[in-house]
Amino acid sequence: MNEFEKKLSQQPLKQIPAEWRAEIIACASSQSNRTRSQTSRMPVLRILHEFFWPNPKAWAGLAAVWIFIFALNVSVRDKSPAVAEKASPPSPEALVQLKQQREMFAQLIGANEPRVADRQKIISPKPRSEWAEMKTV
Amino acid sequence: MPAEIERLYDAHAQSLYAFLLNFTRDENDTRDLLQEIFIKLAREPKLLSGVRDERAFFIRLAHNSAIDLIRRRGTRERTKENFAAEMISPFAPANEPDEEVFRDQLSEALGRLPEEQRAVLHLKLWEGLTFEQIAGALGISPNTAASRYRYGLDKLRERLRPLYEEIK
Repeated sequence: MNEFEKKLSQQPLKQIPAEWRAEIIACASSQSNRTRSQTSRMPVLRILHEFFWPNPKAWAGLAAVWIFIFALNVSVRDKSPAVAEKASPPSPEALVQLKQQREMFAQLIGANEPRVADRQKIISPKPRSEWAEMKTV
Repeated sequence: MPAEIERLYDAHAQSLYAFLLNFTRDENDTRDLLQEIFIKLAREPKLLSGVRDERAFFIRLAHNSAIDLIRRRGTRERTKENFAAEMISPFAPANEPDEEVFRDQLSEALGRLPEEQRAVLHLKLWEGLTFEQIAGALGISPNTAASRYRYGLDKLRERLRPLYEEIK
């Protein structure tokens, strides 16, 4: 430190006003008491704070992951009914074509003959003795 | 906690007052900032846990608060010129007229320095901190602290030389 620096550093600084001490300490103490009473009034918040405080970033990360999973779940669930709703009804041409195919199929397998299911309907439930008569006729 | 606040006040308030007054050049602002610092500590006593150098910690708090205040005020209230003209001296009144003039000139010359240079000069000259301690307190590198000190000191020397040579 040279002479000039020494000269500067020897200049005395102003003293803090004495009355500030009581005022500032009283103000700070009242804030301290208020904070303490707030935390004691809300023990749940205090417990939560103590529980979460050590690793707030880790908890925030975990919460973010849960939110992501929830959002993903919601978006996937939403898609399936949306697809069903969006699907357009079959066109009249397609219906006509389907009908033609059915008729062609029916012709191929012999539509004039009654189908097995229909045949069963024709045979009315009768006692076996009457069945035998029918066969002979 | 009140006992702890009293201890902290008695240990650090005087140097914080001088630092803040040199920074803000306003008694009311200095008082507000000082009160703000102690309220903050009263609300969050955990801030001090794990602090090795209390003085450096307090100076950092004070510096950050003062910077915030100056930014809030910004250009809307003061330019550098009228700031220097209307400022309050951080020095105690002198008994001798020559010393009084020198302190006034020094106060004005300090007021015209950029805040970052003024902060380093204050901590070096009136707090007796090393550049490493200043760097830790202000969150800058020791080299930056040293260069700010040199620049600031050169400007003071330049402005005060005639008077200094006269009263030496």
